[in-house]
Amino acid sequence: MSVIEYDVIVIGAGTAGLTATAWLAEQKLRVALVTAGEPTACLSTGCIDVCSRDDQPLAGIAGLPDGHPFHRVSPEMLGQSLDDFRQMMADMDMPYKGALEKNRRVLSAIGTFKNTCLVPATMEASPQSDDERIHLITFTGLKDFYPGYILSRFPNASFSSYDAGVSTTMGIAANFEDSAFLETFLLWLERQKIREDKIAFPAVLGLESAFSVLKQIESRLERPVFEIPTLPPSMPGRRLFNAMKDHLRRRGGVIYWNWPVVGVERSGRQIEAVTTEAQGRPNSLNARAFILSTGSFVGGGLYAKRDRIVEKVFDLPVFAPENRDDWFDQDYFSMNHGIGQAGIAVDDAFCPTDSPWNNIFVCGSILARTETLKNGCGHGFAIATGRAAARSCLERLK
Amino acid sequence: MIKTDVIIIGGGATGCGIARDLALRGIPHCLIEKGDFAAGATGACHGLLHSGGRYAVSDPVAAKECFDENMILRRIGEKCVERTGGLFVRLPGDSKLFRERFLRSCDDIGIPTDILSSTKALELVPSLNPDIEEAIRVPDCSIDPFRLCLLNMKTSQMKGGLSFIRHRVTEIVQSHGRCIGVKATDAATGEVKEIHGNILVNASGAWADLVARLAGCEVPLTLSKGSLVITNHRLTDMVINRLRPSSDGDIIVPNEAVCLAGTTSLAVDDPDALSTQSAEVDTIIGEAGRMIPHFNQARIIRAFSGVRPLLKSQKLDSREISRGFQIIDHQNGLYSIVGGKLTTFRLMAEKMVDAIMNAFNLKRDCETADQPLDGQEELSGYPLSKRLADMKNILCECELVSRGSVEKIIQETGTRHVGDISHRTRLGMGPCQGGFCTFRALGVMHDMEILTARQSVQSLREFLQRRFRGIRYALWGDQLREEQLVEYIYLGILAMEKTRERH
Repeated sequence: MSVIEYDVIVIGAGTAGLTATAWLAEQKLRVALVTAGEPTACLSTGCIDVCSRDDQPLAGIAGLPDGHPFHRVSPEMLGQSLDDFRQMMADMDMPYKGALEKNRRVLSAIGTFKNTCLVPATMEASPQSDDERIHLITFTGLKDFYPGYILSRFPNASFSSYDAGVSTTMGIAANFEDSAFLETFLLWLERQKIREDKIAFPAVLGLESAFSVLKQIESRLERPVFEIPTLPPSMPGRRLFNAMKDHLRRRGGVIYWNWPVVGVERSGRQIEAVTTEAQGRPNSLNARAFILSTGSFVGGGLYAKRDRIVEKVFDLPVFAPENRDDWFDQDYFSMNHGIGQAGIAVDDAFCPTDSPWNNIFVCGSILARTETLKNGCGHGFAIATGRAAARSCLERLK
Repeated sequence: MIKTDVIIIGGGATGCGIARDLALRGIPHCLIEKGDFAAGATGACHGLLHSGGRYAVSDPVAAKECFDENMILRRIGEKCVERTGGLFVRLPGDSKLFRERFLRSCDDIGIPTDILSSTKALELVPSLNPDIEEAIRVPDCSIDPFRLCLLNMKTSQMKGGLSFIRHRVTEIVQSHGRCIGVKATDAATGEVKEIHGNILVNASGAWADLVARLAGCEVPLTLSKGSLVITNHRLTDMVINRLRPSSDGDIIVPNEAVCLAGTTSLAVDDPDALSTQSAEVDTIIGEAGRMIPHFNQARIIRAFSGVRPLLKSQKLDSREISRGFQIIDHQNGLYSIVGGKLTTFRLMAEKMVDAIMNAFNLKRDCETADQPLDGQEELSGYPLSKRLADMKNILCECELVSRGSVEKIIQETGTRHVGDISHRTRLGMGPCQGGFCTFRALGVMHDMEILTARQSVQSLREFLQRRFRGIRYALWGDQLREEQLVEYIYLGILAMEKTRERH
């Protein structure tokens, strides 16, 4: 078995884990990120939801119930972490727009508005009201985008359909990376004689280069263009993840990719190492401290057995409604499902409470009482708690 | 106003069977159903075409009826019956005395049995608990209740019979003490249709008493709730029964790509207010897991309940109440047909129509046992090669349903309901339970101008609520994980919850 020594091991490569790892690497710690695979960030809209339940994120956070983990992040820490995020994404040619003072609206693929704090620049022109005049472009055979859903709520919208030769989100996005395809497309688009003020696309304008593709369309058609987030596989989510990952690698960060953690080595009140399995071979990753950012159920950090909910890596105590009947509300749309509370309860240092271990820090959506959907605490919450847990970890190691 | 001879209230197996029998005997009729076909007990059962073995000891008359009907249905309904065969398995500790009584009763009734050693049984069904003492083979089959209803209605439609689904009977029209018609309200438009006929048949199952009361009559029923779970794949190719007196969770039935296991039996008052309890789900899984151990790890994709409408009796345990059926002549032109089983629906229909012919003083023998069900030639089954041919345009990845086949169903039926597509293609019946493909199917319906965009969104909302009622009692493990993803898509990415504001 190979044994590798680090200061900190971060487990889980979502926005929380990537933020924590990058920050610790900047503090010159020996840090590594270990992940079982692609995070759920790849399925996301790429928008940075800080707290979408209120028009103002900070007011929204202030109004969160007592015990919500967001109360453990200071406003300065939140502001700093989001500023750093925006700087990082600008450096990666994937600028984000928006401000912590006020949420903005993003048009969804069903014609509703989603509240969010920061958006990829490709969504900056997203309409802020349903009387805006927009022209939708769709692609023949694309099965996860139906303009009709949006037209039903936008009286001043129309659409046209382009045959890109392929019908999957990924396939069309890959085509947009090809300048010859883009040129042919632009000639077609000019022939459509679009009269509306803005042009909307499902989010397929490139795998990585969407921002520059969008700029080219805008300059040719002389009006704002924006993307509408689609069902997974979601290009803006993948772009976000890839940019954060590449940024980390540029800083010399180490990522153990496709290395699911299968075991833990303990000594006294300390976790000494996690063992992972890659290519059928066990490896031991030793560290002085561990940051858990494995996500909630979809991410695989939590797993619901029939009688209880377990945390998958360290078997930490999980806060959750005790009775299975209380996991879900009767009304699907109530946003009040008890399961949203499930997770790891932490103290002010982001250390799990009632845990036998004293060198674990927890961040992101695996935190108890987050209620990601109900409160709209998404990537913004992950970035802020990732940063906070990392700083707390650094202080402990000093 | 619509005039006909016979009005049938209820579009379950019994009502659809009566419509077919009337059609074959040349009697004009009109069927009215408040939901979709097979929406009540018919669609909320195992889909087991009983060999009769299950009732051989407790109710030999019902058992004999089941056996005879089983033989008829496998002949006339090739495309909705799968000849799986069934096993009654005896686990360590199960009564040997019951085994003797079971074999003797089956023999008396004429149900063929075949005693298999555990080794032989495991060869037939490798997933069986290796600890079983023995197994007895019987001619059980699995049957698709949705198709069964649709095929019965096909004959009715071919012969000019009328049917209105999603119409609720709100009034029974009477004149001089006789029932002469009904008023039925269209759920979608609120429009009221008045339909007159000479005879009214109340085949509304668990709702029979509520319907009869519209005419000032009563139908004494005991309502018994039975819950079932569905696994995400087929754990056995044969029907598996527990060789013991009827009890919770003692039947597992393979059906298409999945397996159903159940049931439970709890008395209820209101057929419209059913909920499944976690304890029932756990019991079913535990008991099914004793016969097929993998059940304990299998992904459960749905847990739901149906109501057995049983004839009222003094006996307390509803399992002891006869599964036989009864025709009640209310002496005012209204008949109620109650009790019975899915397996015996054709026989029930035959007896009901015999009574109607008698009342009309007409003579024409029942032909439903001899004629194959109409419309079967159109059912191709589900050959994988066919489903994969249009791989580029698959709307439902779980069940491999293409956009082309969805468009075809919409063109043929003109349906505005995504559920009608599911019943005909299995769209949305796989592990994600329509989480991904319903959004697409409704988008296609809008593209085809069957629905306005606003109606598509509304249908999607209703679908998600309905779907959730079916899955919320079976959410843990990987299924819960997938469900959280679906929830994230609809509430996180699409902000579906905000569609409510406008309605």
